[in-house]
Amino acid sequence: MRALLRFVFLAVLMLPAAPALAQEFAVSQLLAESPELSGREITIEGELVGDYGFRGDGWMWTQLNDDVYVDHPLRDGIAPAGGNIGVGVRIPSDLAEGLDHPGGYHHRGPVVRVTGIWRHHDPDRQGESYLDVESLAVIEAGRDLDEGVVWWAVAVGSGLILTAWAIWWMRPGRDGS
Amino acid sequence: MLIRPVAEDFRVISFYLGRIFLVVAAAGLLPLAWAAIAREWGPFGSFLLMVGVLALLGVVGVRFGPEEPKLDWSHGMVVVALTWLVIPIVGAIPLLLSGHFVRPLDAFFDSMSGLSTTGLSLLSDLDHLASSLNFWRHLLQFLGGQGIILAALTIFAGTGGITLYFGEARDERILPSVTSTARFIWGVSVVHLIFGVTALGLVGWLALGFDLDRALFHGLLIFFAAFDTGGFSPMSTSIGYYHSALFEGFTSLLMVAGAMSFGLHYALWRGPRRAIFANLETRTILSTFGFTLLVTLLGLAATSVFATAVGLTRQGFFQVLSAHTGTGFSTVSTAELARWGGLAFGGIAIAMALGGMGSSTAGGVKSLRIGLTIKSVVNQIKQVLLPEHALVGTGYYQSGEKHLSPPLTQSVMIISLLYVALYLLGAGIGLAYGIPLQEALFESVSASANVGLSVGVTDPSMPVLLELTYMLQMWAGRLEFVAVFSLLGFIYAWVKGR
Repeated sequence: MRALLRFVFLAVLMLPAAPALAQEFAVSQLLAESPELSGREITIEGELVGDYGFRGDGWMWTQLNDDVYVDHPLRDGIAPAGGNIGVGVRIPSDLAEGLDHPGGYHHRGPVVRVTGIWRHHDPDRQGESYLDVESLAVIEAGRDLDEGVVWWAVAVGSGLILTAWAIWWMRPGRDGS
Repeated sequence: MLIRPVAEDFRVISFYLGRIFLVVAAAGLLPLAWAAIAREWGPFGSFLLMVGVLALLGVVGVRFGPEEPKLDWSHGMVVVALTWLVIPIVGAIPLLLSGHFVRPLDAFFDSMSGLSTTGLSLLSDLDHLASSLNFWRHLLQFLGGQGIILAALTIFAGTGGITLYFGEARDERILPSVTSTARFIWGVSVVHLIFGVTALGLVGWLALGFDLDRALFHGLLIFFAAFDTGGFSPMSTSIGYYHSALFEGFTSLLMVAGAMSFGLHYALWRGPRRAIFANLETRTILSTFGFTLLVTLLGLAATSVFATAVGLTRQGFFQVLSAHTGTGFSTVSTAELARWGGLAFGGIAIAMALGGMGSSTAGGVKSLRIGLTIKSVVNQIKQVLLPEHALVGTGYYQSGEKHLSPPLTQSVMIISLLYVALYLLGAGIGLAYGIPLQEALFESVSASANVGLSVGVTDPSMPVLLELTYMLQMWAGRLEFVAVFSLLGFIYAWVKGR
């Protein structure tokens, strides 16, 4: 009975904090409802791509993508399915230290879950929109992406260049004849 | 009576096309080397294939050509129109083999968009694209903006250059010979390249905290896209990726430089500079930019999109400048741009439709035509209001005193009307597919004026007919119709002529 009362007491204590719990959004939804979500604490999950811009002011800027390529990179052989869906994120430098290489051609970047305040047209940054990250958890480490040489293209391309070279040198008049 | 082209006509066209293909094959060695250095072996093979196709086409073309080719006006126009069709097809090979496109046609679309300096894209997963392929997309914009023909003229001086030069939508010869004009244009471009890449690279490295190699990579690609008013960007979030007013500032300077006519560049370099602001074209573009900026800012202010005047001005200014110069960069998402209704949306659409200066890398109707149209309308009104025998001045200043003659007025009106028709064509087809009028018109203007801003209509799932229409718009808009009509006339004469 005492345990039950303790549980109820704790639950009541936590009630006021409930609305402040970060709600999880897809980036596409975040972009679609950007003005309405301004100033709210939200959670998004996705791959960090591009560059890690440590600006020396305690912040690191990068881009977080939440699209089909996070789980299924094109280089794994899946069919292309449209453009990327990403947002800028500003992460405290200390949280960003030690992250794997950001996503690009040779790498799938780390997949992270970040929570922070959505800044829609932030007046302090002359109207930029971005997620001001407060916490970060790495869900999946980055990994190298395999690449295959397109051998037939190498062979055909080399053949065409050699043929062009041969025709060029065989043209009449080169030797004055 | 229509005269059917004879074998000699085809041989002349083949000769000049061959030379141009060889120049582009040489340009293709750059991304090939880049792929090797970056150890991107997949793209390496596809670039080798592209260079091989171009080299073979080039050599066969020259080999098939006559000993002493004599290029007349119609040959020149056909060469230009075909160049701007074939290069995007062959240039699409590495894009197609990358696996980043849903349909083969989409790779051709992106290649045409790059070469015509439009910037609309159907590429999937740009953020994982090989750096060499990204470099090639942007190099296409540089080649297209500068003019492939111009590159060929710089290397192969010879007869017929003037026809090719004008065929590529350039209407002023800055120096006495076309070759020296071409070399001047390349000189201006190289100076801007050094300044642009250095400035953007330093901002990326020192202010944004990128690694030096990545900062230079971003600097180079953004330079290509800004100075040639192309609008491709290395990352999917365009210039919004950088979150930097300083980076946007330097990019804006390059966009302005790209939208300036090379005649104006010449005046800036070698004076007299006072004459610059007397030019009808300069006055027109300053007026139309001020007008569209004001309309857009009022629209954004009325709908309270931004909380502060500074935010509104920075974001509104960049979007309007990008639209008016025909670049197509953005600092806001496609979803947000689509939400900018009313005046703001209209301001940006009008800015896109008007375009930059003539003989620049920008698209659209062009400022000189707008200025001359307004002037001729004002003259007509004056003529009506003044006494019957009063004479209305028809002079205007554009690098010297000029006369607005009836044939010039007619030519200006025809081209301007053709642009309006082109804008309506794409909008009409978009409407037929159920796209709302506002979005259909915006995207159509963006394609025709070679801008590249999008409200989401351009997408891999778009209908094929609409995709083909946008490609036609990009091609015809970039060449300002004359070369396109010449090609159609040439084909018609071939089929129906005697």
